[in-house]
Amino acid sequence: MESRKPGSSRKGSNRRSGMSRRTFIKLSAAAGATVAASSMFGYSALGSPVYSPELPAGEDVITERWVPTSCLNCATRCATRVRVVNGRAVKITGNPLSQVSEGENCARANIGLQVLYDPARITTPLKRTNPAKGRGIDPGWTPVSWEQALNEVGEKLKALRAKGQPESLLLLYGLNSVSDEDIIRRFGAAYGTPNVISGDGLDNEADKSGEWMADGHYTQSAYDLDNTSYILSFGASILESYKPLARSLRMWGKIRRERPNRARVVVIDPRYSITALKADQWVPINPGTDGALAMAIANVIISEGLYDADFIENWTSGFDEYKNLVIEYYDPETVSAITGIPADTIRQIAREFATTRPAIAWRGRGATSWPNGSYTSYAIFCLNALVGSIDVPGGVTYQEDPEYHPMPPTTEDDVAGDGRARPALDLRKTVRFPAAEVATNQVADSILEDIPYPVEIAVGFNSNFNMSAPGAGRWDEALAKVPYYIHVAPFISEMAEYADILLPSTTFLESWAYDHSPPGSGFAEVRLKQPAVEPLYDTRNIVDIVFALAGRLGDTVAQSFTGIGDDAQGFVRYRTADLASWDELLERGVWVGPDYEFYKYDRIFLTPSKKFEFRSGNLKAALRWTGDDIDSLTCLPHYQETDFLGGSNPFPLILSTYQPLLDIENGSQNYPWAQEMFLVMHGQGWNNYAEINSQTAQDLGIRDGDTVYVESPYGKVKVKARVFEGIHPGVVSIATGQGHYAGGEWAQGIGVNPNEIIGVDYDRLSGQAAFFNTRVRVYRA
Amino acid sequence: MTRWGMVIDLDKCTGCQSCSVACKAENNVPHGSPEEHAKRQAPFWHKIIAVSSGEYPAVRIDLIPMPCMHCDDAPCVTVCPAQATYRREDGIVIQDFRRCIGCKYCIVACPYGARSFNYKEPEEEEYHRPDLPPERADRGTWPFPHRVHGVVEKCTFCFHRIDEAIKEGKKVGEEVVPACAEACPAHAIAFGDLDDPESQVSRLLASRQWMRLREEMGTSPKVFYLTG
Repeated sequence: MESRKPGSSRKGSNRRSGMSRRTFIKLSAAAGATVAASSMFGYSALGSPVYSPELPAGEDVITERWVPTSCLNCATRCATRVRVVNGRAVKITGNPLSQVSEGENCARANIGLQVLYDPARITTPLKRTNPAKGRGIDPGWTPVSWEQALNEVGEKLKALRAKGQPESLLLLYGLNSVSDEDIIRRFGAAYGTPNVISGDGLDNEADKSGEWMADGHYTQSAYDLDNTSYILSFGASILESYKPLARSLRMWGKIRRERPNRARVVVIDPRYSITALKADQWVPINPGTDGALAMAIANVIISEGLYDADFIENWTSGFDEYKNLVIEYYDPETVSAITGIPADTIRQIAREFATTRPAIAWRGRGATSWPNGSYTSYAIFCLNALVGSIDVPGGVTYQEDPEYHPMPPTTEDDVAGDGRARPALDLRKTVRFPAAEVATNQVADSILEDIPYPVEIAVGFNSNFNMSAPGAGRWDEALAKVPYYIHVAPFISEMAEYADILLPSTTFLESWAYDHSPPGSGFAEVRLKQPAVEPLYDTRNIVDIVFALAGRLGDTVAQSFTGIGDDAQGFVRYRTADLASWDELLERGVWVGPDYEFYKYDRIFLTPSKKFEFRSGNLKAALRWTGDDIDSLTCLPHYQETDFLGGSNPFPLILSTYQPLLDIENGSQNYPWAQEMFLVMHGQGWNNYAEINSQTAQDLGIRDGDTVYVESPYGKVKVKARVFEGIHPGVVSIATGQGHYAGGEWAQGIGVNPNEIIGVDYDRLSGQAAFFNTRVRVYRA
Repeated sequence: MTRWGMVIDLDKCTGCQSCSVACKAENNVPHGSPEEHAKRQAPFWHKIIAVSSGEYPAVRIDLIPMPCMHCDDAPCVTVCPAQATYRREDGIVIQDFRRCIGCKYCIVACPYGARSFNYKEPEEEEYHRPDLPPERADRGTWPFPHRVHGVVEKCTFCFHRIDEAIKEGKKVGEEVVPACAEACPAHAIAFGDLDDPESQVSRLLASRQWMRLREEMGTSPKVFYLTG
């Protein structure tokens, strides 16, 4: 066997041959003096042993360093440390200085190495030569220089703005660093388009609107897991996909076994998820009926006098109307018929929840990504108020976001002002989606139907809505229609295939950025991203790409990007200047804000009554101008029966999807480590399945491992059946993350994408795409 | 006498597989392919298995992280005709690639499926695929730095870390643990000296209900699972 040396015969290595170990030691000392990022930073502070290499003869390790940076394989954006040997990243671990995840990472962080060294990365800007666009059509990529690519894009953008139609520029973004999102939004504002659209409308907008109705915070909730005694999860995938994930994983260990009182966890979900598997009790529920269950739990708590009368009396409004509603319509027997959960179980859960304080009612996509999901979300969130779990230790908390150094307002000309005043493509804050912040999935239809006007140019930053949105095929048609599309990402994806110009961005291990997690910790925490390795290819930071385009546009757009740093590193430094010294940030990688303060009742309720509202004044205000009939029910949490897409004949089953932990969220899945351990519960990798209850399978004559069609009114997918005891008999479930048909060899042609056969529907108030109300039938192929 | 062992708390474990992925990164275990996966030839030194029982809705699935059990009476050691597999004095069961003749007797003998055969062809440069780190462990140096085609591989309890830590006077089990234990966000994996009554592993075993896998085989595994 030929002996191999680290760093040899690989692209991107900085190996210098012929260096002795003695030279290595000298060099690393010099590196410490000159290179800030590798200054052998506070090992003692990080609690990590300094490693002195003792190498087999002939192995010339030259440099080794640990770089504090952060992950971007999901929106948690955990603090990490990357071990770099000879300029090559070889290992990723947590950063002990992070308090959000207490120095821990999940499996996704390790996958970062394969994101960096993904053979399917784009190595240089690419230009399309084949004008025809569509699935399976070869774009005919030809490499171009950055200069040429940016000039071409710059001229197109300039011409559109000169025509006075800046609103016809559409900026889409998927999972990006917070700093990249900040700069993308700023570009949209300076250019003059209201159409800066995130992927949030595919995520958990209905979770957010539910809290907003009650307390005015349009956000997913943060929970003080550290101190909680009871968790009641309504479709929240706490251990697989809910963010901040690594924090939930760390806290799970803590609340189960690292303190005297073990927290109890009950999971409501039609599917036996990993969270349900690890909980104390799994309660399967008829899909889409979580709102009714929440109201029934309130019924038991109120009728048995188990609520926190003190909090209700002093800090809430609308309780009497809410009380009358739940008492009159939602007794456990009635709701049992709706949810399929025995009335006694409902009582048991309600009593436990009310008496095992502090308790958390945790809502997730499984319960809320439905039509009327906002009301379900609201109903569940109100349970927290009933038991006084608002801004108390062990209850709901109010996330403090870090205060980055404020940017000056953009320089605005008339073009920008007029453009931004135009209605947006996603119809947010219109009669269609009255309370929405973003309605991502609507944009595809708006493009196709020119609502409210045609899109001339679109840019996608790390977005892949052609995979992740229900009715995925509409995005294919929409992007084929857009006259000029620019895609910015480190790799080819389904959405990238529609680009006229592909601009390769750096991966998060090569980038400058600042980041923080979605709500969870309560206190604020910022993580720096600094390049662990030099960019492997001819790629650029998104901030640098935007700066370059702004410069080419000139005038007020260019002016809006002066004085905020000259490049990605400068921008990050500018924005974090108030937090800590630059050297400290480089060395620690993490800035942690002040401790969280509880009981802020005098200032946290952003509602007309300045209290927690069981009858939503915010909703009433939002609906006032829509012409909606506001009846006695409109502003109260309540349950509405779901309208399913497709009739129960011939579509008897309900299609559900879930995100496994190793579904990497960056829009690719070309990561063999993630693929080969993809579905831990089934002991399977490199695939996904139609998971179906054993009784249902028997009725349909389907055996485990059979190839079946799952067919909805909108199409069908061919997939292997997994006969499974952990699923409601009326449901068939398919994991997301597979079904790629573009990109790398480890993602393409593996499994199916359930979003291809899910119909298009919304939670009207929040614009959240509904994912779980499509009916299907399953039959052997 | 030191006897290294591992205690995995199934109540804290979240099934996230950080352990399995961290093991791959630490030990540069090559990834498999869909074809290798189908033939059960994908190499794993650590994986989580799922054991299910019961019927809907009273279903139960246990997720069990599976490193090598490092049995005190290891069948693999007994059957190995080449003495390539042996038990170190500290209890770690080791596989010496240089002595292994690739007969796979140990794979058959292992009741835990903990062993993988290296089917990779050297010309595949499997350890030098662009997605894999160089052949260097996180801490400490491998005594067998290069893998060999056609031999059996398995978990080493990250003995390179342990040996390095002892050399440096660090406390194994506190300052230095195997990669899987280090990566566990729930802190479900403890590692230490089973013969030291003061070690964390001993204290956990004294305070909780535990089990070992396939106790009836008489292998005396040194990986313990906390259940109650």
